[in-house]
Amino acid sequence: MKDFICPRPVPRAVNWNRIEDDIDLDVWNRLTVNFWLPEKVPLSNDVQSWSQLTDEERQLTIRVFTGLTLLDTIQNGIGAPALMPDAITPHEEAVLSNIAFMEAVHARSYSSVFSTLCSTSEVEEAFRWSAENEHLQAKSRLILDEYDSPATPLKKKIASVFLESFLFYSGFYLPMHWSSRARLTNTADLIRLIIRDEAIHGYYIGYKFQRGYERLPEAERAELKEFAFSLLFDLYDIEARYAEQLYDGLGLTEDVKSFLHYNANKALQNLGFEALFPDDACKVNPAIMAALSPNSDENHDFFSGSGSSYVIGKAVATEDEDWDF
Amino acid sequence: MLDASVTTDLDYHALNAMLNLYDDTGRIQFEADRMAARQYFLQHVNRNTVFFHSLEEKLRYLVDEGYYEPQVLAQYDRKDLHAIWEAAFALKFRFPSFLGAFKYYTSYTLKTRDGQRYLERYEDRVVMNALTLARGDADLAMRLMREIIEGRFQPATPTFLNAGKKARGEFVSCFLLRLEDNMESIGRGINSALQLSKRGGGVALMLTNIREHGAPIKGIENQSSGVIPVMKLLEDSFSYANQLGARQGAGAVYLNAHHPDILRFLDTKRENADEKIRIKTLSLGVVIPDVTFELAKKNEDMYLFSPHDVEKVYGCAFSDISVTEKYAEMVDDPRIRKAKINARAFFQTLAEIQFESGYPYIMFEDTVNAANPIAGRIAMSNLCSEILQVNEASQFNDDLSYAQMGTDISCNLGSMNIARSMDGGDLGATVNTAIRALNAVSEMSSIESVPSIRKGNDEGHAIGLGQMNLHGYLAREHIHYGSAEGIDFTNIYFCTVLFHALTASNALARERGQTFKGFAASTYADGSFFEKYVTRDWQPETARVQELFAQAGIDVPSRDDWAALRAAVMQDGLYNRNLQAVPPTGSISYINYATSSIHPITSKIEIRKEGKIGRVYYPAPYMTNDNLEFYRDAYEIGPEAIIDTYAAATQHVDQGLSLTLFFPADASTRDINRAQIYAWRKGIKTIYYIRLRQDALSGTEVQGCVSCSL
Repeated sequence: MKDFICPRPVPRAVNWNRIEDDIDLDVWNRLTVNFWLPEKVPLSNDVQSWSQLTDEERQLTIRVFTGLTLLDTIQNGIGAPALMPDAITPHEEAVLSNIAFMEAVHARSYSSVFSTLCSTSEVEEAFRWSAENEHLQAKSRLILDEYDSPATPLKKKIASVFLESFLFYSGFYLPMHWSSRARLTNTADLIRLIIRDEAIHGYYIGYKFQRGYERLPEAERAELKEFAFSLLFDLYDIEARYAEQLYDGLGLTEDVKSFLHYNANKALQNLGFEALFPDDACKVNPAIMAALSPNSDENHDFFSGSGSSYVIGKAVATEDEDWDF
Repeated sequence: MLDASVTTDLDYHALNAMLNLYDDTGRIQFEADRMAARQYFLQHVNRNTVFFHSLEEKLRYLVDEGYYEPQVLAQYDRKDLHAIWEAAFALKFRFPSFLGAFKYYTSYTLKTRDGQRYLERYEDRVVMNALTLARGDADLAMRLMREIIEGRFQPATPTFLNAGKKARGEFVSCFLLRLEDNMESIGRGINSALQLSKRGGGVALMLTNIREHGAPIKGIENQSSGVIPVMKLLEDSFSYANQLGARQGAGAVYLNAHHPDILRFLDTKRENADEKIRIKTLSLGVVIPDVTFELAKKNEDMYLFSPHDVEKVYGCAFSDISVTEKYAEMVDDPRIRKAKINARAFFQTLAEIQFESGYPYIMFEDTVNAANPIAGRIAMSNLCSEILQVNEASQFNDDLSYAQMGTDISCNLGSMNIARSMDGGDLGATVNTAIRALNAVSEMSSIESVPSIRKGNDEGHAIGLGQMNLHGYLAREHIHYGSAEGIDFTNIYFCTVLFHALTASNALARERGQTFKGFAASTYADGSFFEKYVTRDWQPETARVQELFAQAGIDVPSRDDWAALRAAVMQDGLYNRNLQAVPPTGSISYINYATSSIHPITSKIEIRKEGKIGRVYYPAPYMTNDNLEFYRDAYEIGPEAIIDTYAAATQHVDQGLSLTLFFPADASTRDINRAQIYAWRKGIKTIYYIRLRQDALSGTEVQGCVSCSL
């Protein structure tokens, strides 16, 4: 027996009983409690509602969803895994692997919507569209470029937060709009589950960014911050055009842009930066704002659907004292 | 107040959604919702309503075009019709909330056949209800119209939606069917589920008597596939049938906790259940006898019994015996095959599934049967867990005709608004009119497609008078839900309603010269039902509640009153086998501007999602920025105060009350189990949903959202 010539670092088992950062545990708990699969949402209850949309509205909806699918695919296969080598704690890696998996669930969910509501040719057309759409491709490229460069862990996090907290929302707008108009309400439930997850993903990655950022010298911080704002400007530019292309037909573009402003600020807030857009520019239609609420206090009736409220509970055995009657 | 420039360019959906967002000073924007209701009429309803010059023109058009049922109108003189319509419009009804108006116009009002234009205003719908249910009695119609339009009484959705319309579903909300351990009964049950969903309302089916997975068929082992495939068939049947698109069919299935398939039954609602067995839209209920609690207390195993063998040994269906009574005997009987699971583990599994899905409902079998005044056993409940009635098995021939027709259950419901009924000042008259309206629905219903239900209805005329707006009333009167005064009020209010409900049904029996079938064997007939009312006083114990009844001018019946009622009932009987049931009141409480049922509110601003209307926001009734402290929500109030309130009401209600329990998402299964044990100890009959609320992780909230903040 020979000794190994090239010594690799001793592999360490992750010990959840020795938490270095409480946020890791909080987020892990929340993410696992929130676990869900698209099969739990009775999407088929939307079939009737779907048939009442016009052809243009249907096409728009499918396209928006393929756009979202693309973002989730990137985040699942490349984004979240790219953050793992930079993890500060072993628990962070575990949380990131959960995030990566849930992104796969999200990507899968849109296909559930498609298979329930649409014809194959409609869906194929939309996937072709997403592969050819210049704006969609441009924003994916900007994000992927950051994921690909190994030297800049914090820039990857910035890109990741922008994807989670900003880029998704031009797409999320549409199902929220439909649901506030009593259309596709079960699909909206499913999207709300996705929003519930993405809100936590953006928050968590942003939090990890801030921990790295605060350790940097002043000059590097200034440079990173400038990078973040400049990337956001570039992305916003693309998003604005993407929104015009999608929503001009329905006359919703202005409202979608306010919504983009609101979420851009939210993304910056997750990174610990000040807001970019003034409050006036973020006045989103209240029906959309209120529909976003990631909480689970919605009241629904058994004639309609499963809602987006239930979670996986903590099992604790009863004790003798509980049965004292 | 909102400044006009902000609001004129917003549509009503946006105005309504502002309810869920605080204003700059941190106050809830109630005014926005009132504006939403107003804008809804200006921007939408008024523009899309067909205009008629006169009542004559309207009625002629609606009858000629086949929208209204001519027989309903033909029972009355022209002048009576004019009088009731005039009186209705003179009351100047206005919807106090956007959701009420929106819900009414989206789901209830009569529309042109293309669904584009409204043909009725709220007053028209109410009058058509009154005329239909009064069946030619102009005086009763007028009283009923007033009770409904002034908000004291509200018929349940199927009645309110359908009354007077020519193309319509049934007036009855709710059906309960037994399934027996043979293919004919299962096949007939599925057909009945289709037929009943088509006609409106929910259907519950009892699976307790169906033999378990792996049981023998014709003596050959491992042949039966148990209850799961039956559930799948039912689920598909319900999603296929809907009431003219008005609402989806909905169904529930009940299973006894000691059925061998119980864990498989629960696992259908698991988050990671396989597609082949996952149940999405069917509701589940579990029937739990006292013995299960006793076994869990001793931390012992609970035995599960094969229904097929039980039936062979006892000569009657599994559901027709008391598991508590026969438990030891069945455990020792070698002819009955059995399995066992740990009783505490069973309760824990129950709670785990409730976390993930909100199901199953629970019925405490022995509590229900001990409180049942009617002869016979109750072995199931319904889709909302408030109907508790006796049924009998049917037997079928090979061609599915009846070899022996049993009875199944239908129940028509309607609810009183507690605040408005107290304000009305004549609780006896309100209850009397409500009972007569519900009784009319029973007498007018004849479900030909399911003869066993028709038979049950003809023999029993069972009805279910419910209540709503308890929390709204208490908060308006500055009483905390679940406080000593709150419970005192609930107790005395329900006691008084029971008195008047019995009085009304007794009067009906006298008028018809007839009682429900089986009256002689009930505890009403021998007077024992009244024992607790004539041997002690049921009067308010707190000064505040005495004051409330005194101010309203409502007398609380004395022991002598009860003794007189007992004598009258023993002499002439009751016309209705069942009288009260407290449903969860979803839609109708929004239209009626009430808090649901006798629950606490679930949120100061409730987010309501329904297939037909999307996401809409609803402010708790009577709430202002100044009395918010009395509007603690169900999650803050916690399960014990809710159970105590329900226990006070339960002792005066012959059927059940839909009781939902609310927990924060960081609760454990043990917390749920403890609440269930507490409910069972306090004499609660059924538990409806378990609801959970998860707070947003700090840092992820939507800014300034009312329903996000505690």
